[in-house]
Formats: sequence, C-alpha cells, structure tokens
Amino acid sequence: MLSKQDLSALIRDKKVLLSLIVVVLLAFIPAFVGGPFALRILTLIAVFTIYASSWNLLAHSGQGSLGHALFLGIGGFASSLIAINLGVPPLLGLLLGGLFAAGFGLLIGLACVRLKAWFLAMVTFGASVIAVAAFSALDDITHATLGFPPIPMTPSGYSFYVLTLVIASLCVFSIYLIMNSKLGLAFKAIRENDLEARMIGIHVTKYKLIAFVISTFFAGIAGGLYVQTQSYVDSSIFAVENSFKPLMMAVIGGLFTIGGPIIGSAVIVAIDSFVPSVDKFLQPILQPLFPAVSAVSPPLRMLGLGLFLIIVVIFLPKGLISLWPKVAAFFREEPKGKTDEAK
Amino acid sequence: MDPASQLIEIILWGVATAGVYILLAVGLNLIFGVMKLVNFAHGELLMLGAYVSFAVTAALGVNAYLGVLFSMGVVAFVGVVVERFCFRRVMGTEKLNEIIISLGLIYVFSSTAVLLWGDKPKKIVSPFENRAFPITESVFISYDRVIAMIIVAALLVGLFLLVKKTRIGLAMRATSQSSTTSMLMGVNTSKVYMFSFAVGAALAGAAGALFGMIFSFDPYVGGALTIKAFAIIILGGLGSLRGAVIGGLIYGIAEYSASIFLGGIWPDAVAFIILIIVLVIRPTGIFGQKGE
Repeated sequence: MLSKQDLSALIRDKKVLLSLIVVVLLAFIPAFVGGPFALRILTLIAVFTIYASSWNLLAHSGQGSLGHALFLGIGGFASSLIAINLGVPPLLGLLLGGLFAAGFGLLIGLACVRLKAWFLAMVTFGASVIAVAAFSALDDITHATLGFPPIPMTPSGYSFYVLTLVIASLCVFSIYLIMNSKLGLAFKAIRENDLEARMIGIHVTKYKLIAFVISTFFAGIAGGLYVQTQSYVDSSIFAVENSFKPLMMAVIGGLFTIGGPIIGSAVIVAIDSFVPSVDKFLQPILQPLFPAVSAVSPPLRMLGLGLFLIIVVIFLPKGLISLWPKVAAFFREEPKGKTDEAK
Repeated sequence: MDPASQLIEIILWGVATAGVYILLAVGLNLIFGVMKLVNFAHGELLMLGAYVSFAVTAALGVNAYLGVLFSMGVVAFVGVVVERFCFRRVMGTEKLNEIIISLGLIYVFSSTAVLLWGDKPKKIVSPFENRAFPITESVFISYDRVIAMIIVAALLVGLFLLVKKTRIGLAMRATSQSSTTSMLMGVNTSKVYMFSFAVGAALAGAAGALFGMIFSFDPYVGGALTIKAFAIIILGGLGSLRGAVIGGLIYGIAEYSASIFLGGIWPDAVAFIILIIVLVIRPTGIFGQKGE
C-alpha cells in the first residue's frame, strides 16, 4: 500500500516524530504519578482511544453506528474464548478476536449496503440488542450470562499498560495512514456526497464495506483489551452505554480528526473516574436538598455530564480539538485573524 | 389456554401496548419529518410526562386521566424550551451534534427526575385500578388499556386533522418537503419548528401519562422506549405518519408474542430481528419514500 517514497516522507514528517515522542513519554508517566488508580485510568484511555478511533473511521466514511458495542463485545468474547479453548497465546487471541469482529462486521455490512445513514445506525443498534439474547442462548459456548475471567495477556499493571499503549499507538497510526491514503479520500468523498463519489468512479458499496470491516476490526481489538482491563467478560459488554461512548468521545474530541477521539476518550474516562472523589465531598452539602434520593451524587454526576455534553456541542461544534489552534495562537501571540485560517 | 384465545390475547394486549409506542413514534416522526432532527431524548419526554401526571394526581388528587392533559401541557412547554435553547443552536451543523445534544438531555432529564422523585419504580393510580373486561373465559383486558387505546385513537385523529386540514399543518407539510422553499414562500419556519416540536413533545407527554397507568416506571425508562420508537418509525418509513401507526402495531404484537413464547430478554431481540428483515428487503421501510 505504501511506496518507499511515502515511507521516507512519513519518517521525515514532524508530526509522526512528535507523536512517537509523546507515546514514549506516556509510557513513562506511571513512573512519576504512581499508584494503580492512575495506571488504570491511563490504560482505559488507551483502550477507549482505539475504540473511539475505530468509530470515527466509520463515521469518516459517512456511516453511523449506534451499536459498536456489538463489535467491542464480539472482540472481547472471541479473543478470550479462543485463548481459553484453543490454548493459543492471548496476544494471538486478541488478533483473532479482531478478525472475528471484522467478520461479523462484513456480514452486517453486507446486509446493510443499501441502507442510508439512520437506517444503518438502527440496524447496528438492533444487532447489539440481538447479540445479548443470542449470546445468552448460546450460553454453553459463550458463558455470557455468568461471565468468566479472560487469561491475562501480561501481568496486570505497568506491563499491561505499556502493551495497551503500544497497540493503541499502532492502531491510531494505522488509522492515520488509512485516513490520509487514497482509501481515506474515497471515504471522505462518499461521506460528503455519495452520488458524486459514484460519478467520479468510486465504487461506493465496496468502499463502504471496506470501511465497515476495518472499523469493526479495530473495535474488536479494543474489545479484547477492554475485557482484560475489566478482568471479566459477560454480556454487559453489549450495553447501550458502550455503544454511545465512542460516539460521545469522537464528537466531544473532534469528529473526523485523528486527535479528536484521543482527547475525547481522555476527557470522558477522566470524568468517569475522577468525579466520584469530588462528589464524596459534595454529598453532605447537597443531600438535605433532595430528600427523595438516598445517594445524591450519582444523579448529580449524570446531570453534570449531560450539561457538559450540551455545552461543548453548542459552543464548540467541532469538538475540543478546535480549541487547539486558539491555544497555540495565544502562546505564540499572533494576531487573531490568522487563527481562523489555521482551522 | 387454547390457541384461539391465546391469539386473541396476543393481538389485544399487543395492540394495547402498541398504543403507547405509536404515540411516541408519531411524535418522533413528526419532529423528524418537519425538522430533520433526530431527537434521541424523546423517550425522556415520555418519562417526564409520566412523572408530571404522577405528581399531579398524587399532590392534587385529580383524576389520572386529567393528568394526561397536564402532562401534555407541561411536556410541550419543556419541548419548546429544549428546542429553543439546545437543538436550534446546532441545527444545520454536523448531524451527530444533534445526537450528542440528545444524549446530554437524556442525562439531564433522567438525573433531574431522580433528584426530584427518587429512583424507585412508581405507578400512577388510575380510577379503574384492577378492573377488567372479560373477553373470553381466560382473556381479560383492563379498563385502563381500553381507555388508553381510545385516547390514542382520538389523539391520532386530532393530529391527522391538524396536519391535513389546518394552515399550520400545511406549513408543517411544506417545511417537511423543503424548508428553504417554504421559507421563501413566506412560511415562518422557526415558528413551524417550534410548533412541531411542541406537538411531538405533547404526544410524548400523553404517552407517558398513559404508560404510567399501565406499567410502572422509573427515571431510566426513556432510553429503551426511544429506541423502540425509532425502530417503529424506521420500520414504517421515516416521515410517514401512517407508517408509524402500522409499524407500531407490528412492533407491539411481535414484542408481546415474543414475551409469551420466548420470554426473558427475547422481546427486544425479536422486535429488532423483524426490523432488520424488513430493512434488508425494503431499505426505506414499509411506507418510506424513495430517495429519503
């Protein structure tokens, strides 16, 4: 896919070098900010980065999925079950889990090639609902009802974090390559106007399917890693919440960008993880105001998240990443007019 | 139970449940048709309607069926506020922004409901509690479900007349075909948007008040119902009111028969299997127009 010229251009690309340095720095963070809590958050951010990026890639081709948890779940179940039953090394299991998810992605993609945006989103959502029932019906094979622990890939903790970080970087880098290749251009053309795309000779159906398969593959990989972070697999992985998370992350961070899903997953995971310690502090103050509830903090946290989503979308419709040029310009102290062009 | 009366039960109870779904789906379809807006928080409006009716009947002791009117008014007002301050600000930008706004609204509405009313399941006490018509020896249908069906039918007829026979209905239909052209023809589209959202929300409020009399509800009931309503309008065809009614009936009956024969988590799955089969055969839904 890549010629030698592309490759050398890539190596000379400053952005790639910079990202590499950031990744290496990220690998050393836990050495300074110790504690299993920080490590867990960082690992989760890496996993959700893969997941949100996979969703973002699909959206990049103009297809929406409201049931991406299906592929997360298939990846999680398949990788763990393969590793347990066939005795293959868990890392190979992870890859096979991704391929399994991509296989299902192909099937669903084939069934939906004729469907337009909302219909496709609904079918994927429906498929994730059906999966819960189907996985419970096949309980002898899947053990989905009670759940089971997957075989750990590495000792949990720091080594697993580094592994996840490496895999996440590889995935994000591959998605970067895809989005900047001819393939990515075709996806973009289809997203913007599929009729015109067809007119200039893009095989719309074929490219839509390709996007679906690639996206579901990465979602499956994310699933394999996700169950490792939970040390447990059961049918709750197909939950609606997991389907909406990548969408939230990609949109909050910045749609159709590489950085967006990374920022989005960092923000959403951080909100999920840090806020509980804040509301321990708020609980005694606010509890008397709302006598109807026994614990006032979970609904308040949800209220906060809801308002946060609404405010970000209203004031930053291009996501948090659109703040970046403004911040950069502030530090460079350039005249204001230029920042608008930079976008 | 013999097969004949079982069939009667399935159809009767399925249709009765479908009534609530239809109200929700028709409102959602109206909003989608006119504004091209995907309101994933529509089920939360239903939830709100149920709580408003619950609060009014419990606090003032009024008849639960009067609560339906209260819910419609309050939820329509909430709908106007939401349309004015949230959705209007992102309309015309990326479609996904609307979904994120609705997700945000889901969190806001359900957590507000938890804060005000707690998260224990509630039920609206109707004046006809525990009274039922016998249909056959073993099949009964409660008064509430029958009255709910009548109210749903009346509201649907009212909506039909509104859309087909009035000036604002004409403006709504024009806007749904092309908002730019209707704007050029002198239609105040932002007013039409607000009105359509209010009508859709009022229908959701009525659905909520009826839902609360038939089932118990909690602040998280909205999410699953929104998805069902979406499945119904996609099944019936986006933007088609007739489609939403037929889709709702199919969905309600399919769900109810699955809950009898398969049980457990199958009702949702079966309903979606039907949806997928319909879409694979006919990608625009049963009554959907080509080129949507």
